Amino acid sequence: MGSLEVDIAGLKMKNPVTTASGTYGSGKEYSDLIDINRLGAICVKTVTLKPMSGNPPPRLWETPSGMLNSIGLQNDGVEAFIDNDLPFLSKQDIPVIVSIAGTSIDDFSRLAKMLSAQSDIDALELNISCPNAKVGGMIFGSDEKLAAEVVSKTKMASTKPLIVKLTPNTGDISAIARACERAGADGLSLINTVYGMSVEVDTLKPRLGSIVGGLSGPAIKPIAVRMVWEVAKVVNIPIIGMGGILTAEDALEFIIAGASGVAVGTANFIDPQAPIKIIDGMNKFLEKHGVSSIQDLVGALKIDS
Amino acid sequence: MHQITARVVENKEITRDIFRLTLFAPAVARESKPGQFVHLQCGVNQSYILRRPFSVHQTVGVDAFDVLIRVVGDGTKWLAARRPKDSVNLIGPLGRGFTIGAELKRALIVAGGMGVAPLVFLALKLAEEKVKVYTVMGAASKDQLLDFMDLKRLTRKIAVSTDDGSQGHKGLVTDILGKEIEEADPDVVFACGPLAMLRAVAGISRRYSTSCQMSLEARMACGVGACLGCTVGAKDNYLKVCSDGPVFDTQELGW
Repeated sequence: MGSLEVDIAGLKMKNPVTTASGTYGSGKEYSDLIDINRLGAICVKTVTLKPMSGNPPPRLWETPSGMLNSIGLQNDGVEAFIDNDLPFLSKQDIPVIVSIAGTSIDDFSRLAKMLSAQSDIDALELNISCPNAKVGGMIFGSDEKLAAEVVSKTKMASTKPLIVKLTPNTGDISAIARACERAGADGLSLINTVYGMSVEVDTLKPRLGSIVGGLSGPAIKPIAVRMVWEVAKVVNIPIIGMGGILTAEDALEFIIAGASGVAVGTANFIDPQAPIKIIDGMNKFLEKHGVSSIQDLVGALKIDS
Repeated sequence: MHQITARVVENKEITRDIFRLTLFAPAVARESKPGQFVHLQCGVNQSYILRRPFSVHQTVGVDAFDVLIRVVGDGTKWLAARRPKDSVNLIGPLGRGFTIGAELKRALIVAGGMGVAPLVFLALKLAEEKVKVYTVMGAASKDQLLDFMDLKRLTRKIAVSTDDGSQGHKGLVTDILGKEIEEADPDVVFACGPLAMLRAVAGISRRYSTSCQMSLEARMACGVGACLGCTVGAKDNYLKVCSDGPVFDTQELGW
């Protein structure tokens, strides 16, 4: 049997599959339905320094092959996370990635410092790509200079590996990716949701309370695969690919395009068993094709010359 | 909470475009409480991808339960087309149901349209607990008064309104609610129905200083409290309809 083990930004993962932040709560919510310990890692919902109430409802709208959301980073703040959610995660036997966001560079540094003190956290994911936070969020992720600054300052405050989550809602994702790498990022995850909108024509109203939101699901997968491929060509740090992964084949597309790991997001809503099915499907693929390690497939895209 | 691929026992169109889908799922039938819901996958496809939440309508024997489905889009159309021996993937039972206090003596049930879905199960439980139940029920027309006979059997008095006047009072359920509260003098009002109706029911109950629990509907993604997509605005925060509710005391909501 082939090996699914990967090492992403210093995280030893028994398989390349993690969860996409914001779709999995703190993991506890799904623990009745799946064995969390089968995952390669878990990435929990974004925490901020202070509690955030989030955006006004409606926050969801299903669209063809996808969904729009405008949650707005609702969370109880980092202290509540450490007190209420971390104990559950500590008991799990897999690497824990905590997503963080702030409205200022100082917020990111303080969060990194506080969370670095927690031995049960294995890595931080810098969410500089949320399209739904009024301040900060995507602003950091769509400007090379700002992205570099937030990454380097957070890196200084952190003792954990830093994975930077990138937004597709920018002119040149490769340039942002390079800037993050130069600033000290240990890994990249991409993509966050695609900025979108829907209108209810009978009432002339937007479907979402905050008018615009982020599109996820299979609808965005080709965009995500293309961006992983582009970014993988220009950076030397590992990439966690995500965007509409429902099946093992979807996950393998990302890996072949250049991702070392993959994250499952919207698929958890459709079928909480999706991550397990993806892991099993990857194993079958390795076996079928006689591949000894999933790492041999990372960036293995064949392009006829 | 379980994820089960449940066999369809029966799927019956009880009135135009409304189906009662019975699923074989012993664990869910056994554990469900009135007001809880199940999250149904509407086939495996990549066009409409999310599950749809449905109140547990009634348990059927000890091994099965049913849900009421109104066909409104592709997902519910798929569910309506299920036949015995087909299967439906479900997660459940989910959420917080109605709270039946130990000292509860008299209750008034308010059902609006499809909002009747969780209320027969509740009425059955209340009857078991020897609570005196009164019902006010409204719908667009007589043929849309779902479960009328069941509720009539389980309650001391049932008052009806229809939009077109084909049965009972012509108008809204909230037109006649005040009078029924005065007559029934309930300890609590249990309601489910369209949002505008629930808002009005909350106001009327407050006027009579009667506590009120209502089951809310929302579009959901995860159904288990992870995504925070289905929230409802409460006094100074947002509550999750899927896991803090779907049944809320109106005081929690600040309504």
